[in-house]
Amino acid sequence: MNRAIGGGLFSLGYALLFFLFLFGPLIIMVITAFNSSAFPRIVPWECFTTDWFGVLFANQRLMTGLWASLWIGFAVVALSVPLGLAGALALSDLGPKARAALYGTLITPILIPGVVIGISTIVFWGAVARGVGAGYDSPFFNGIFLTLLGQVSFIASYTMLIFISRLQRFDPLLTEAALDLGATPGQAFRRILLPFMKPAIGSAAFIAFLASFENYNTTVFTILSGNTFTTALASKVRLGTDPSLSALAVIIIALTLIGAMVREAHARRGERLRRSGPSGLYASPLTRTLVHPATIFVALAGFAAFLAWQGSRHDASVCRANILREKQEMQERLLREQQERMHRLQQQAPAAAAPQAPGNNPSPFGGAFNPNTLAPPASTIPAPAAPPPASANPSPFGGAFAPGSLAPKQ
Amino acid sequence: MSALRRIFAGMASRHGLGVAFFVAGAVLVWIFVLIVLPQVAMLDFSLRHNLPRSEIGGPRDVYTLDNYRYFLFGSGSGLNTLDMGVLVKTFAAAAFVTLIDIVICYPIAFILAHSATGVGARLMIVGLIVPFWINDILRAFAFRVLFGATGVVNGIGQALGLWDTPVDFIRADVALYSALAYTYVLMMVFSIYGAVETLDRNQIEAARDMGASWWRVHWRVVLPVAKPGIASGATMVFMLTAGALAAPQILGGPSNLWFTQLIYQWFNDAGDWQRGAAYSTILLIACLIFVFLTMRVFRVSIGAIGK
Repeated sequence: MNRAIGGGLFSLGYALLFFLFLFGPLIIMVITAFNSSAFPRIVPWECFTTDWFGVLFANQRLMTGLWASLWIGFAVVALSVPLGLAGALALSDLGPKARAALYGTLITPILIPGVVIGISTIVFWGAVARGVGAGYDSPFFNGIFLTLLGQVSFIASYTMLIFISRLQRFDPLLTEAALDLGATPGQAFRRILLPFMKPAIGSAAFIAFLASFENYNTTVFTILSGNTFTTALASKVRLGTDPSLSALAVIIIALTLIGAMVREAHARRGERLRRSGPSGLYASPLTRTLVHPATIFVALAGFAAFLAWQGSRHDASVCRANILREKQEMQERLLREQQERMHRLQQQAPAAAAPQAPGNNPSPFGGAFNPNTLAPPASTIPAPAAPPPASANPSPFGGAFAPGSLAPKQ
Repeated sequence: MSALRRIFAGMASRHGLGVAFFVAGAVLVWIFVLIVLPQVAMLDFSLRHNLPRSEIGGPRDVYTLDNYRYFLFGSGSGLNTLDMGVLVKTFAAAAFVTLIDIVICYPIAFILAHSATGVGARLMIVGLIVPFWINDILRAFAFRVLFGATGVVNGIGQALGLWDTPVDFIRADVALYSALAYTYVLMMVFSIYGAVETLDRNQIEAARDMGASWWRVHWRVVLPVAKPGIASGATMVFMLTAGALAAPQILGGPSNLWFTQLIYQWFNDAGDWQRGAAYSTILLIACLIFVFLTMRVFRVSIGAIGK
């Protein structure tokens, strides 16, 4: 008994730690989306702002990439769902040996690195184009067409896995019965098997769309000189980060959570109605409507829209101006102190100009970096956070305000 | 051939001729046009010289092993230790990430299968899936925010007095390994869960009653059942990690390359597609050899993957 309780506590603690690991990075990213600091971080907190969402939507490259991604996503769904279904149906009709061979073949695209799929796709279709004498304006050199083919080759494997697990629960006697009762095989397929597969088709389409939208490894090769949302995002992250990406994460997480809650309501409703009929919450029409997935969706979406509307009216300019002024004052004070110090040094030893060397050592400010008095504002100084003051008086500090030399020292 | 015809006839009699044609056509197109021929084309391409477009198909367009020779020996004499080192390092790192995932996911899969019930289990599943839906790039970005010089981890560590100056987690690849392990947690958990779930709880109770300690229960009762799940999860995580491109590009330290980044460089920076194709063929073959060896060692069939 004791051990059982100890085990329970251990598993509870472990599960909590595990989910902290899963959600910690997401929570931190969400918080950074609302900090006005130009580098995504929590400390030092500057101002609460919603401006990063505006920055995100103003990014032309991301937005055109978004359209390309949506197109590719829908086309991938339209192709990979039938392919996956065909694969699953073929597997269900084979003997054990042939089945293992076909399964192994159709599952390898999942195991092949995405980079390899991308390269083989462009190389193959380039060869085909040479074979038929097609020029560079043909679809064989069109990034969207190639991305579509490259993605379908492995996303169809994902959809196939979903169809296989659904088919395993199918009772073939149903088809037999329909055939015995005079249905043609085609009718039996359309009226019995296809309706049975419907939920799997829905989730396969969903997974296929997500996988296509998220894909980077294959797409970065097959899209050629174009951009999808994900490749545009990746080049943005590689070049430098700003919290508009956190804002994007906030949007995606919100959509995900709404989707998860609606789905949960849907699943629970189905389960309850199946198990005990309309009872409890589902007995009265009012509460039944209240816990209906559609109601929950409308409520959540409305709430999100309200928050977005409120957020768009939030104005952080006053706070930003304050921070800016603080930084300017800070810089002026530092400048004065440095000048005094330089003055003293020149009086003592004319050759001692060394501390001025940029990035050499952040200590030429002497007491200015006394942690007790100045540490918190000093850490807000790094150049990217304060472009206006930096352009107002850029030279006196040399490179001493380069983020690399000061920021880590706090 | 006759076997294929019989299967086709069986399918036509059960689902109708239209369905049979659709299934046969779709599977053939999928296998040949989308899977096999592209790989063959890539292999063929990797055996050619990097020629200007006008000379392709001309007298100088002959087969060569040059691109593979370059991987082994570089342009001069002596071994190309740099590129081979990158491949070995990538595989070692992928194996390390896989191991981390096994260790952190096994307890969760066991808890999910045998301790959690009702709402708790549902919440856990949602909690596992939600992070998986976030874009790969954004996940890497989150770890950059987390592990940066002014990031949260450094902030907490310094506030607690664990270290004084910010630790460069990015250079030390800590951020990269954590992000990769994080990304593939879901696959590992569900693979192991699928296997552990089939275990009869009574077996655990029996072992407990016989006086086995908890680690002995896991070692002798649960682990043997979980083994196929661990192997299939490990295969997937390993392949995905070895083939990862986004996370190493975003989180990789300046001096550390992932093998996929080498391929990317041959393609996009050096413009030598043939050599890039050769390198990706090498990656593909190395991955497949590694996976088949693992399956041999752990006696798992490919049919267990993706369950």
